[in-house]
Amino acid sequence: MSTVNKAPYLEEAVQPFTPRTAMEEAARCLLCHEPPCSDSCPAGTNPGKFIRSIRFRNVKGAAETIREANVLGGVCARVCPTDKLCEEACSRTGIDRPIEIGRLQRFVTDQEKIFGMEILKKGPAKNKKIACVGSGPVSLACAAALAAAGYQVVIYEQKPEPGGVLTYGIIPSRLPKEVVEQEIGRIKKLGVEFKLGAKIGRDLSLEALKSQFDAVFLGLGLWGGKLPALEGIDLKGVYSAVDYLSQAKDSGGRELAAERAVIIGGGDVAMDCASTAKQLGAKTTIVYRRTLEDAPANAAEVKFVQSLGVGFIFQFTPSKILGKDGKVCGFEAKGTDGESELRLKADQVIFAIGQAPEEILLSEKLELTDKKLIKINDENHSTSLKGVFAAGDAVNGGKTVVQAVAEGKTAAFAIMSYLTGEAK
Amino acid sequence: MALKKDLSINYLGVKFENPFCLSSSPVGSDYDMCAKALEAGWGGIVFKTIGIFIADEVSPRFDIVNKEGHPFVGFKNLEQISDKSVEANLKCIEKIKKNFPHKPMIASVMGSSPEEWKQLAEMVTQAGADIIECNFSCPQMTSHTMGSDVGTNLELVREYSRATSQATKLPVIAKMTPNLTNIEGPALAAIEGGAKSISAINTVKSITSVDTDLFCSVPVVDGKSAIGGYSGAAIKPIALRFIANLAQYDKLKGVEISGIGGIETWRDAVEFLLLGARNLQVTTGIMQYGYRIVEDMISGVSHYMDEKGFNSLEDFIGKALTNLTGADNLNRDYKAPVKINAEACIGCGRCYISCYDAAHQAIDWDGEKRRPAVSDRCVGCHLCLNVCPVQGVILPGEIEFKEGRTKRPVTIKTKYE
Ligand SMILES: Cc1cc2nc3c(=O)[nH]c(=O)nc-3n(C[C@H](O)[C@H](O)[C@H](O)COP(=O)(O)OP(=O)(O)OC[C@H]3O[C@@H](n4cnc5c(N)ncnc54)[C@H](O)[C@@H]3O)c2cc1C
Ligand SMILES: Cc1cc2nc3c(=O)[nH]c(=O)nc-3n(C[C@H](O)[C@H](O)[C@H](O)COP(=O)(O)O)c2cc1C
Ligand code: SF4
Repeated sequence: MSTVNKAPYLEEAVQPFTPRTAMEEAARCLLCHEPPCSDSCPAGTNPGKFIRSIRFRNVKGAAETIREANVLGGVCARVCPTDKLCEEACSRTGIDRPIEIGRLQRFVTDQEKIFGMEILKKGPAKNKKIACVGSGPVSLACAAALAAAGYQVVIYEQKPEPGGVLTYGIIPSRLPKEVVEQEIGRIKKLGVEFKLGAKIGRDLSLEALKSQFDAVFLGLGLWGGKLPALEGIDLKGVYSAVDYLSQAKDSGGRELAAERAVIIGGGDVAMDCASTAKQLGAKTTIVYRRTLEDAPANAAEVKFVQSLGVGFIFQFTPSKILGKDGKVCGFEAKGTDGESELRLKADQVIFAIGQAPEEILLSEKLELTDKKLIKINDENHSTSLKGVFAAGDAVNGGKTVVQAVAEGKTAAFAIMSYLTGEAK
Repeated sequence: MALKKDLSINYLGVKFENPFCLSSSPVGSDYDMCAKALEAGWGGIVFKTIGIFIADEVSPRFDIVNKEGHPFVGFKNLEQISDKSVEANLKCIEKIKKNFPHKPMIASVMGSSPEEWKQLAEMVTQAGADIIECNFSCPQMTSHTMGSDVGTNLELVREYSRATSQATKLPVIAKMTPNLTNIEGPALAAIEGGAKSISAINTVKSITSVDTDLFCSVPVVDGKSAIGGYSGAAIKPIALRFIANLAQYDKLKGVEISGIGGIETWRDAVEFLLLGARNLQVTTGIMQYGYRIVEDMISGVSHYMDEKGFNSLEDFIGKALTNLTGADNLNRDYKAPVKINAEACIGCGRCYISCYDAAHQAIDWDGEKRRPAVSDRCVGCHLCLNVCPVQGVILPGEIEFKEGRTKRPVTIKTKYE
């Protein structure tokens, strides 16, 4: 008999360090010269330095290092694919296994909260106003950097809650709601104003925004769920990943119970859908067109999903969704070998095969790429519209939270030089 | 923004931007090293001891002490004083002072006769040092007119202190050895001779390990070894004791103290300050981790001051001295038996073993459930609390007064990490 992890949907799955176990882990750190971990954090969170601070008993100093570099340090501690970033670079791997950098970062940001530290301070007020569209990681990072420099920032978010994917995507057992609220609370304290339920392009035009603000930043993310053109795709019970996850998070999972769920995809989003379905009580199977080795999902996430008892079927592509009375009742797929056939009973089919930009035309003059992503000048995040900047998933096609934080910061500096007249 | 408090302090009439200095040793022995250290944030430098005698060093010259998973808790060295010419060292001091005029430079010197001490004092004064430290305490010198033997000889300490002080207008520090039972005597002799401050401690005479194949203690120098100086985290308890002895000695009232020995973190630093040191020196921590450790010292002390509402180091220098008393003055009327949090306990049984084998058989062990329970035999010695591997599982419980003693409020430690 094998053990199955019964992690509840709303509870954080990874256990935190205590001050003592954090010190034990920090004591494993080799305190390298020019720490490779620090070099491999896109947002410059500097684990080499903050772990050294833990080691030398200066947890508050560690918190300052993290927070000053990364306003979403507590979020990143939980959701970063550390196995492909800082922990992959860790020299300790040459001895046994990398330092658990993400978990140490979580320890420090948890302590920061316990100590009630307010590290980020509002800069001396500057008489310029910036609107940030969207309230995902990229806008939050951009807004925080601008506010810390003294600018007035208003965030416009179409959804009722701020946070983008943090609030409506990533599952609570990896990222509890309180953590997102705390981080956003800090940004509010910097003076950033949030206008929720305000969709630019519908409730207010981009032109109007441009006339009211000195600069506009677009951090729109990718909110168009991709669904393939298959027989049965319109049946009730078929979801795109973003719709499924945001409905689950919205209702605390209550409205999405199913008996058998099939998830299509092999990335992190597919894993999140699978754990959600499983944690909400469905017999859950992931069907992926390639092999486990090819799956882009984070190793830790795959392990977590496996520990929950989710089944994996590899090298099958969906061919048909079966329905009865307008509802899903089954799923069929064909083997990539050209011979095998698969037929599963299912009352939910969730496609996690990538996100696309939402079909919304903000302005005819806003230049897009052929993939419908926003086109920018790589040097300064400026778009084809003067005074309008963009970054994050809507520009890079969908990467990571920490990448969004990094881009949000550089975009903020680009906006500052635009406003101070240093750039065209 | 990262918090940074004003850590500046006046030591011997010289302003230090913070109390953290390199102690005299290889960590401060040439220009580039000193420049890197000062740029990293160190408040000042005690330069590697300069002598007329020029050292001719052995190879290898170090050994370390390990404890289970922790390497390098103690450090032994066989080094003597500078192996560079006096001229080269003086040039270096001059250059540092020229490029870092606001960072105090303390020149450490060692002579083997009053004449040499005088000569060295004059030369380093000329080179621009701000303070002179007399090294009375290197345990591996090869002559008894130099090194830690000098530091235990009241006559020599007085005489050399006098020769040095009379040859300079600069304030003089006497650096003491811990290789004696009583530090107050030589310290007083140094002050009588004209020294203005005492620094302590230099290294502790030691044999760290013996190679069981070569039948030779370590480091092995062509099949032989020698007793050498022990330093690093392991000697901090010894250093703190000597600092407190100096600070509490009536006849040394008002004499400023520089604390040395095992300082690695801001917490170590604060401990030395609380016991009366107003200047701090570090070697082994730097040898192990580099100059960068000063960053967390500065930041950590700043946060500590912020928490406690201190605005200056003066607010807490010596603050723990009034609570350091004779063992005969301690409150023996009560005990603080432990309480065990059975829920958080992981069932390793280490507390049971230690209490049974080394204390008062006051823990009962439920072998079935693998859980300990404290009985009324507990005397509150807290051995188990110190042995327990899980934070917060064993803590002091309710205070109990012994038969016939008057109940009154008592202060005990409740926060453990
Ligand atoms: C399910 C899922 C799981 C993921 N897991 C991880 C993970 O574990 N680790 C990781 O690093 N990354 C993960 N990612 C990727 C990561 O979340 C994104 O790269 C990141 O959120 C991008 O940030 P963003 O601010 O560009 O976009 P988003 O987070 O998408 O935020 C964009 C915001 O803009 C709003 N918006 C859009 N258009 C308008 C408009 N016209 N008017 C007003 N508001 C608008 C949206 O409502 C949204 O709130 C995951 C993504 C998903 C979907
Ligand atoms: C390798 C080495 C060389 C040292 N050389 C000197 C010296 O030349 N003069 C001196 O006064 N102390 C010397 N010391 C002693 C240190 O300055 C210091 O007093 C002692 O090491 C305790 O401090 P620590 O635990 O921070 O190292 C030396 C110590 C070491 C480890
Ligand atoms: S520390 Fe430097 S000088 Fe010493 S043995 Fe190693 S390489 Fe040689």
